[in-house]
Amino acid sequence: MTSKVQVQSVLRRLVTVWADFEGKLNKVDIIDRINRGKISIGEYRDILLNHRQQVVEGSRWIARAASSIEQPYLEQRATFLRHAATEQLDYKMLDEDFVNCGGDIGHISNGQKNIGSEALHAWMFHKASQKNPFDLLGAMFIIEGLGKNFAGNWVKKLEQNLNLKPNQTQFYRYHAEHDDDHIEKLENIMASGILNIAGLADQIVKTAKVTGRLYLLQLEEIGNV
Amino acid sequence: MQDVFITAAGGFLPGEPVSNDDMEEYLGFIHGKASRCGKMILRQNGIQSRHYALDKSGTPNYSNAEMASNAVQQTLNRSRISKANIDFLSAATTQGDMLVPGFASLVHHISGLPPMEIASFQSVCASGMMALKNAFLNVRAGEKRAAISCASEFSSRWFRPGFYEEYLDNSGQTDLSSDAEFLRWTLSDGAGALLLESDLKDDAELSLKLDWIDLCSYADRFDPCMYAGSSSNDIRQVQAWSSYSSPSEASAQGAIMLKQDFDLLYRMFPTWVGHYLSLVENGKITPDEVDYFLPHYSAHSLKQRMIKLLQQTGAMIPENKWFNNLAQIGNTGSASIYLMIEELFRSQSLSDGDRILCFVPESGQCIVSFMQLTAVRRERSK
Repeated sequence: MTSKVQVQSVLRRLVTVWADFEGKLNKVDIIDRINRGKISIGEYRDILLNHRQQVVEGSRWIARAASSIEQPYLEQRATFLRHAATEQLDYKMLDEDFVNCGGDIGHISNGQKNIGSEALHAWMFHKASQKNPFDLLGAMFIIEGLGKNFAGNWVKKLEQNLNLKPNQTQFYRYHAEHDDDHIEKLENIMASGILNIAGLADQIVKTAKVTGRLYLLQLEEIGNV
Repeated sequence: MQDVFITAAGGFLPGEPVSNDDMEEYLGFIHGKASRCGKMILRQNGIQSRHYALDKSGTPNYSNAEMASNAVQQTLNRSRISKANIDFLSAATTQGDMLVPGFASLVHHISGLPPMEIASFQSVCASGMMALKNAFLNVRAGEKRAAISCASEFSSRWFRPGFYEEYLDNSGQTDLSSDAEFLRWTLSDGAGALLLESDLKDDAELSLKLDWIDLCSYADRFDPCMYAGSSSNDIRQVQAWSSYSSPSEASAQGAIMLKQDFDLLYRMFPTWVGHYLSLVENGKITPDEVDYFLPHYSAHSLKQRMIKLLQQTGAMIPENKWFNNLAQIGNTGSASIYLMIEELFRSQSLSDGDRILCFVPESGQCIVSFMQLTAVRRERSK
């Protein structure tokens, strides 16, 4: 078993990576303007349209990662598979929000990834195809941290400034309310013995950093397909 | 490099303690009406008593510099050093009595200290730590032998009705917004001072070795959060109070009021926690070795938000090691950490080798600072 001290150290490093990521995130133009209440409904639709192209791939890369997990980590593989299943239909909420904001379903269903999402997507699949890619826990920490730490504030700001109704912000609201215990889940899986894999702790932290950087790129490149 | 010891501490709290029910008697009723959200804010910040340098008519009994000077005087009275041997004065405040000159000049004048090098620090809560760091480094470098660092706040004068009414009338509003109300019910007056020396006197019973001070600004990513002197804290829309046609026009436009942006405040938490965890991870702070944790907190409820994450990351300092007098003496901003150290010094509870960790976050535009002290206690020689 992995010692509690090892798990705590990785978590400390991840929270530090998160703090740096969050500082940079708030400086991305579109996020800065959400915070200041200065975006239009059209720009909100653009965010949904761009975000959807990443979200729809989410359970794919988690499933790919699961299929790269070998013995003796079968319990952990089951966790990854269950996680992939819960994310599977998330994109539907995004589609509904988009339509409820005046968007066309065909437009969002057939949308392309922006150039930042392409980079993020390629990175995730590259990582997920490696043997026992538990360093992707760092990527999950960043992506799910966005739900827990950011989505709630975004919903509040968007509703205030664009007079949005609940059926126009379902996706971000859902993640604000349901991603709450992501650190606990991470704690459990890290304590399950995987940190005995040589170099994994450092890899988790590095993968979190790269994922954060590419996530910012996705937001910086909204509309650039 | 010299070792640096805090060898004496003093404080000054003006007047009698003021209870929650009596606060508005001192601050005054805005447009003659009792505040509607004061009680809620007091539940949030957990403060039960504080001191004001104003009397019930709103007249000041002391200036800010007089309070600082009183704290300096008490520190000297408790020390074994004469005024003549102090060779450095560092003074901090959020807002001095005069716009010009610097706060340390006024404190120097009133305190009767001899000619010496001085330094003025203006920030919010962290200004006290900035002043302390300057004094610490001067003594540590061997440049000075005995330095006084002090911090003082006279927040209540900002909270009198005249500071809001012109704006409310001009904008057609009847009640203050919560971003202005919060600080009115949170901040109060007081001063603290510490004496820093490189020589540990043989007959000193207790001193605190100052191990290090770590301070970091994250203003690269935040707009002003606790602010006065502009009606907006949107950095792109800031118009300085002094660039209006007159000070009264600035007041009418809401550019004088002291305010707090809560959305921004909550966004600072991950930054503060991240900074703390990096100090733990780098081995600068060892939570298990901390005997006293002195956090400067302005809101009780904010504390609850952090505990779970700190536990998960192995960085939580058990609550029975927390030492904080905010609820009893009020939130005195930059002076607060001085007054906590002063009370701990006075409590006689410190043992030789006790490690003390001080934490002062500043919401002004996001600063975080930590300081580590180690108690050095000797048996009194018979």
